[in-house]
Amino acid sequence: MVIVRPSLAVRLGALELAYPTLMGSGCYGSGEEYAPFADLSKVGAIVLKSVTRAPRLGNSMPRLVHTPAGMLNAIGLQNPGIDWYLEHEVHKFAQRPCKVIGSVAGFSVDDYAYVCERLAARDEIAAVELNVSCPNVESEGETFGCDPSLTGAVVRAARATTEKPLIVKLSPNVTDITAVAREAERAGADALAVINTVRGMAIDVDRWKPRLGNITGGLSGPAIRPIAVLAVYEVARAVKIPIVGQGGIETLSDALEFFLAGAAAISIGTANFTDPRIPERIVAELDAYLLERHLASLSSIIGKANVAFSTPHEYEGDEG
Amino acid sequence: MATLTHHARVHATRVIERREVAAGVVLLRLDAPELANATRPGQYVMAIPPSGEAAATALAVYEAEGKLASLLFFVIGRRTRELSALDPGDCLAVLGPLGNGFDCSQRARDVAILAGGVGIASVLLCAQRLLAAGKRVRLFYGAKTRELLVDAQRFADAGCELILTTDDGTLGMHGRVTDALAISPPPEMIFSCGPTPMLRSVARYADELGVPAQLALEETFGCGVGACWGCVVPLTAASSQAPGFPREDRRGSDVVHARICREGPVFWAHELRW
Repeated sequence: MVIVRPSLAVRLGALELAYPTLMGSGCYGSGEEYAPFADLSKVGAIVLKSVTRAPRLGNSMPRLVHTPAGMLNAIGLQNPGIDWYLEHEVHKFAQRPCKVIGSVAGFSVDDYAYVCERLAARDEIAAVELNVSCPNVESEGETFGCDPSLTGAVVRAARATTEKPLIVKLSPNVTDITAVAREAERAGADALAVINTVRGMAIDVDRWKPRLGNITGGLSGPAIRPIAVLAVYEVARAVKIPIVGQGGIETLSDALEFFLAGAAAISIGTANFTDPRIPERIVAELDAYLLERHLASLSSIIGKANVAFSTPHEYEGDEG
Repeated sequence: MATLTHHARVHATRVIERREVAAGVVLLRLDAPELANATRPGQYVMAIPPSGEAAATALAVYEAEGKLASLLFFVIGRRTRELSALDPGDCLAVLGPLGNGFDCSQRARDVAILAGGVGIASVLLCAQRLLAAGKRVRLFYGAKTRELLVDAQRFADAGCELILTTDDGTLGMHGRVTDALAISPPPEMIFSCGPTPMLRSVARYADELGVPAQLALEETFGCGVGACWGCVVPLTAASSQAPGFPREDRRGSDVVHARICREGPVFWAHELRW
């Protein structure tokens, strides 16, 4: 008997990925760091660490705190700046056995457009993620992602510079994420990454001081998963473009929650710090899951749990 | 420092022995021939807690000989508690060996190793390497109290001259390792691992006496492999360990942030700007 493997391929706009797994920006370096420990040919795409117009030293230490079921970070966008990056780094990405997605951060609309245009012009870069939601820079970093019209302005400006797929990474630190999502879609985004980290803080009670050098940070890991699943659920109802679900995914079950809520793909970040074999394990288990249920492709399950709030629950089994 | 190893990979090891060598200090011996063979003094592994419920944790490779590699650590949190509960026969996956270790090839003939607390775990391989090269090795080893000076005899048996200190005076000199060093003839080179305040004190001594010092820094790691930039230390841009990329334009500053996990964890004291 011939076993037809289910298709795990996904499309994010014009970006075609063999696997539905992205490695989250800032969590996977440029891929080279994890090459000894993970099979990058089994990865959908690596989202690179964000790059800005000018070099950035980043925040002072400490930059990380381990917290219950997660981690707070405040790296502060340390990066060499776009000039050096294009000259010394980008050519190396051609050797990766998976797609490579650039990530752009900025402090003005013009910053985003400038860096996006130069990065997207390179063949090594398959798509660009606009990081409008970094919570760990002194000014404005997250302001863009917290304001629908500013998000729209950034996306429109970036859109004008390239035809490559644009993914907009949304902040959960807003009152209504769907308003930002709709504006990003209207401005020309091809996909939305939902969500970036949740703002948080930890205090050293022996020293009576914040634990992070930056005082506040972004929370990631399983602690934020329910927040992320809800955000994907809500955004999926608000827009037509595909969603990359992310926030504390560590297992097949976690990944399924995101797919069922409406994500077309998932991104794995902090889980790589737990065990770099996790992404490949999730892909293998997802393949087996679909095969077992005679589902031809991943697309058969996308959004299947995204029922309207008004739909009454159908109870199974005995009541009462 | 010694150049970056390219032998790092995932090792599926098996626990051979678990021993509580002092209250809250655990020695975990692993059947890990390839890891033992590839590890250089001062390198570490990221140990993956088998429950999968916590981030991997960075631990120095203590022993590396034949089929055996071991980890020596304080049980201080959830992750180390889980590792301390492993039994012989259990599997433990580790990533490694990681980081740039001590440079033991330097010409200095009369060297001092300064270890504070569980920092001792990072210096056994270093001591063995230096002794094998025929150097005089003085080990200044300090801990809070007598019981926490674990495995000191082993260093003496290997050929180190031992100078012990305790914070409470229960064994050896009453004080810190740097107090003991200050009243000893200066060495030609220092190798050190311990808590950050101790390393700062070692760096001050090294600076005042002009003794080159290699410090293995302790820090909370995120990824442990250089991907997340969560464990940096300010370093002079002139250092060979400084990342090669441009500096942020901050007037008068020659400082860059190097990753402790990747460019380190061992740095020359005089190149740190902490």
